[in-house]
Amino acid sequence: MAGHAVEHDYHLIPPSPWPFLSGVACMIWGLGMVVFFAGLVDRTGESPMMEFFFANGLDSLKSTMTGDGSVNGGWILLLLGSLMAAYVMYGWWRDVARESEAGDHTPVVDIGLRYGMIMFIMQEAMFFVGWFWMFFELGLFHKVRATWNPDILENAAGYADSMAPGVTSVNAWHLPLMNTLILLLSGTTVTWAHHALMHGDRKGAKWGLFLTIALGVLFTFLQLIEYAELYHLRETGHEAWIGNDAYGSAFFMATGFHGLHVLIGTIFLFVCWARLMKGGFKPEKHFGFEAAAWYWHFVDVVWLFLFAFVYIVFAIGGGVH
Amino acid sequence: MGVKRLTLAASAAFFAMTSAAFANKPTDGGYWLQDAATPVMVELTKLHNFVFWIITAITLFVMVLMGYIMFRFSEKRNPVPSKTTHNTLIEVIWTVVPIIILLVMVVPSMKLLYMQDALPETEMTIKVTGNTWNWEYAYPDLEDQVEAFISNPLEKDDAGDLYLLKTDAALVVPVDTKIKVLVTSSNNLHSFAVPAFGVKMDAVPGRINETWFEVLPGKEGTYYGQCSELCGVNHYKMPIEVEVVSKDEFKRWVANGGSFRKVAALGGTATAAQE
Amino acid sequence: MVAIPEGKVGGYGAHDDDDDKPGFFARWFYSTNHKDIGTLYLIFGIISGLIGGYLSFMMRMELAEPGIQFFDTGHQYNVFASMHGLIMIFFMVMPAVIGGFGNWFVPIMIGAPDMAFPRMNNLSFWLLPVALICLLISFAVPGSASGNGFGGGWVMYPPLSTSGAPGPAFDFIIIGLLAAGFSSIFGAINFITTILNMRAPGMTMHKMPLFAWSVLVTAFLLLLALPVLAASLFMLFTDRIDGGTGFFDPAMGGDPEMFQHLFWFFGHPEVYIMILPAFGIVSHVVSTFSKKPIFGYLGMAYAMVAIGVVGFVVWAHHMYTVGMDVDLKAYFLAATLVIAVPTGVKIFSWLATMWGGSIRFTIPMQWALAFIFLFVVGGVTGVMLANAGVDVALHDTYYVVAHFHYVLSMGAVFGIFCGFYYWFGKMSGYLYNKWLAAAHFWLFFIGVNVIFFPQHFLGLNGMPRRYIDYPEEFELWNQVSSFGAYITLAGVFFFFAMLVEAFIRRRPASENYWGEGATTLEWTLPSPPPFHIFNTLPRIEDTDDGH
Ligand code: HEA
Ligand code: HEA
Ligand code: CUA
Ligand SMILES: [Cu+2]
Repeated sequence: MAGHAVEHDYHLIPPSPWPFLSGVACMIWGLGMVVFFAGLVDRTGESPMMEFFFANGLDSLKSTMTGDGSVNGGWILLLLGSLMAAYVMYGWWRDVARESEAGDHTPVVDIGLRYGMIMFIMQEAMFFVGWFWMFFELGLFHKVRATWNPDILENAAGYADSMAPGVTSVNAWHLPLMNTLILLLSGTTVTWAHHALMHGDRKGAKWGLFLTIALGVLFTFLQLIEYAELYHLRETGHEAWIGNDAYGSAFFMATGFHGLHVLIGTIFLFVCWARLMKGGFKPEKHFGFEAAAWYWHFVDVVWLFLFAFVYIVFAIGGGVH
Repeated sequence: MGVKRLTLAASAAFFAMTSAAFANKPTDGGYWLQDAATPVMVELTKLHNFVFWIITAITLFVMVLMGYIMFRFSEKRNPVPSKTTHNTLIEVIWTVVPIIILLVMVVPSMKLLYMQDALPETEMTIKVTGNTWNWEYAYPDLEDQVEAFISNPLEKDDAGDLYLLKTDAALVVPVDTKIKVLVTSSNNLHSFAVPAFGVKMDAVPGRINETWFEVLPGKEGTYYGQCSELCGVNHYKMPIEVEVVSKDEFKRWVANGGSFRKVAALGGTATAAQE
Repeated sequence: MVAIPEGKVGGYGAHDDDDDKPGFFARWFYSTNHKDIGTLYLIFGIISGLIGGYLSFMMRMELAEPGIQFFDTGHQYNVFASMHGLIMIFFMVMPAVIGGFGNWFVPIMIGAPDMAFPRMNNLSFWLLPVALICLLISFAVPGSASGNGFGGGWVMYPPLSTSGAPGPAFDFIIIGLLAAGFSSIFGAINFITTILNMRAPGMTMHKMPLFAWSVLVTAFLLLLALPVLAASLFMLFTDRIDGGTGFFDPAMGGDPEMFQHLFWFFGHPEVYIMILPAFGIVSHVVSTFSKKPIFGYLGMAYAMVAIGVVGFVVWAHHMYTVGMDVDLKAYFLAATLVIAVPTGVKIFSWLATMWGGSIRFTIPMQWALAFIFLFVVGGVTGVMLANAGVDVALHDTYYVVAHFHYVLSMGAVFGIFCGFYYWFGKMSGYLYNKWLAAAHFWLFFIGVNVIFFPQHFLGLNGMPRRYIDYPEEFELWNQVSSFGAYITLAGVFFFFAMLVEAFIRRRPASENYWGEGATTLEWTLPSPPPFHIFNTLPRIEDTDDGH
């Protein structure tokens, strides 16, 4: 920024390695995804090295679980890419936090960050629109399917009277209700933390945030239990499982992607907590924290929609296990 | 700019609308819709021609206006530019006039749409299944007499000039009969399309789509169409051949278990082989 | 050849040595400078344009006569067509207009020193080469039983993209498009924030240049449409896994048509994403070379907003033949026609801007005039297609191919070249040779019309799309069309000759080489602008029209 004196409050950033390295990480991660889920080479035993790294990783995971002994490294690239991505994110956000502490985030930059976060949440919302759309289509237009081709769709007529023949839904009033309460509660604790922070009560802020994170972890834990339960039910002929039927697919993709967002939100909150413990954030300036809180509320709202439609409304038409 | 082309197209349109050459496949070097063989296609052609004139007029209007502006307001002829940037009246006009044009267009357009879609009392049903890569035809009403059959494309040596149109077994239907078509697919997407009938219906696995056609009296003959939804390596090579015969011939064809040769032997009427 | 430059020669440029530019690697790989990133995007767009153009020329050569000449199988041809569509759209047009010109000129036009999130800006760029590499890998790995690569069309309909494409080729495309999609989403966030938050003092929304408006609307379309594409790509991805989901598999109660709804919910806004920035560019060029401010500025801005909004509720006009309910078709028919109205406002406002003006037929102005006319030709055939009844005859025929190339290969691409010649001197600091540029324009103009006009005839006569071979009745117009492709190829050659010549001769461009008429802020800066601009923010006065 030599030459003329800079007379504006915007934040110009010197060259940074992180975006380029993100690209590299994305390349490795993408290759890893394809190798893990699809595999680049078949397992014929002709070139063991190639096959170790590039044969379908999912298969090998399955065969490891069933114990037929054929292991391979189809997951290595994916792991490598993920680790690199994590490293890049760490470095990138560390820079941002440092700049913030150095006072680079002037009021106008702060507003920009807010716009950015709002836009980011908007696009996340549209992402979920995709899943909900799929779910509604499957849930609402089942009668149309009743007229479908019986040669291909077994039981086509069965679609006329329920969601889908033989599909039962997850009971909304057990674990899902618990999870709803947990998320609602976490919404209040994060607000508590925010108000405490604004009033200079750092101890209260730390506790509020800690509780929020704990509730987030609890949510994830319960969700995993629910999945595990469904997995066992699947073996007893229950239909709502990812690979059994389109409803199971929609159920798991929607709740699964929501779960992923809970995880991201929890990590985001955790980073804020760590910064808070190290003395970061000021009562009048703590956008990193606010962004995490916004994100958390968003995740919360998405869950309420999931709970209302995917669990409750869906259960009205189908049988409940 | 494009003047010649446009006048060409316009006169082409006029020519096509007045001439009544009978065509049931793409015409050589053709530049217009194939001749209509069903009431739907007659209406479709009318609407197309109507909209064609509207859009051509709009395009010509823009072209002429632009040409005039380029001529009149070039740097040479108009060295001092005006500074006008607003004129509410003209802005309202160029919003309202297009709306009116569209309203005029939308009325017949809706009429055609509902005509195509509202299945009338049909007199007979055929079921079309798209396979990778051929068509399967079945006659659910006549199940006892006519077996479902597969229609494969003919290779170049056998098809000659009609390569990529001709098949080894045409779909046979009677003329002047409202026919319901059920379309489905066993694997990939396909689309059952016969241009002269104004029919194009996607074949979707798991789903049965409905459409209909009725070949006008006197329009007996062989009609050709081609698969119109990307379905993989041989998408270009799964033609549709429909043979439209008189009602009597059709009856005989059915009575003979859907065989061409027997029809020929019986009455000596037009068959796919003689076409 | 005597070099005849276009525009005022000046001595300003290239004297920005006092800028502390980083070293080569840091400057181009670790960049956080909107102009450098814009340049990277443009170079990337040109490379992709060459790849996409190569694919299309191969197709035209194959189609020049009946029979199968150059390709092994229909699959290979389908691979070329699919990749041509994807590369042209995601890797040529979008990077060029949004990433390239958007990055270069949105901050300058609104008087901001850079983009809001310079690092994220560079991330948006670097995801693109990753995405393109994924697509190129996909050519070389098994795609279906019939060979390498993915041949399911740029629309990627299942089941051809799930059970019909078992190899990893399509997985690479999914990953690539996800990367390109997130690149655009991040870019959109960046543009929206920049435009809403970083306008110079006095630069109200209603004084903002139309190009900035167009990018703003485009960014919102990207932000709302691309996540839905991402979701549907994920669904394809998991549907393809053995024992995975069954969203689009009827045997599992799924619905292949659902993908089409999801895809076109993204896909239709996508076509406006490609054309709106071109609208913005053309507005500036028309105003500059008519030496008049834009006519009906507000109408122009809000017409784009209207196109953006309505663009979200018309998607199923691509699905008239899938067996939709007739009332639904009627709705989509009517909604689609509505878009002609705001688009008409734009066309007529351009004409009104020229009316009473003092028009100079410079190279960018020629592209702009050609744009307006050819876009109308493509637009009105869109109106024909919007009539669901008629679309039954035209869907999936070459009429559609003709329609969308008129709005893309002549709309979006002409917009790109228009902007490129308009701003070339500003970006590079050098003036181009007028004759080479004119040769490029005329060859291109004639070439693409010869390619695509006859395709209307083919479509009307019933020739389906995505066919490697066709009945001999279609030969005549296919021949003409392929001949046009050779003319266009010569045009592309002159484009590169123009570039090479300009960089060899290095005729310096002055600050405002277009003179009177060029009024936006970029013309107050040297050519090329210094590495860091607006260290003191410009102040837009109340009386200043700004557009
Ligand atoms: C830049 C890209 C772009 C643009 C701007 C448009 C603009 C329009 N498109 Fe197009 N379209 C595509 C790209 C684009 N399209 C692509 C890529 C496909 C094919 C995808 C695939 O299948 O692979 C497609 C396909 C497509 C279809 C589906 C065809 C089919 O597959 O069967 C339809 C149907 O309605 C359609 C309609 C329209 C309409 C009504 C407009 C309107 O926005 C046009 C409006 C403009 C005007 C009308 C001209 C100017 C106006 C006036 C001068 C005012 C007066 C005019 C009147 C009163 C009419 N388009
Ligand atoms: C922006 C989009 C775009 C562009 C520019 C083009 C350009 C061209 N297209 Fe493309 N085409 C599509 C999008 C595009 N196409 C799509 C979406 C499909 C459908 C695919 C499918 O079926 O799935 C298609 C399908 C398609 C087909 C039908 C295939 C089939 O159905 O079987 C054909 C056949 O002739 C064709 C030909 C051509 C030709 C000859 C050009 C020529 O105009 C090419 C000339 C070269 C250029 C225009 C590039 C020049 C640009 C640069 C060098 C970059 C400049 C950059 C800067 C200055 C920054 N295309
Ligand atoms: Cu069958 Cu295309
Ligand atoms: Cu569209």
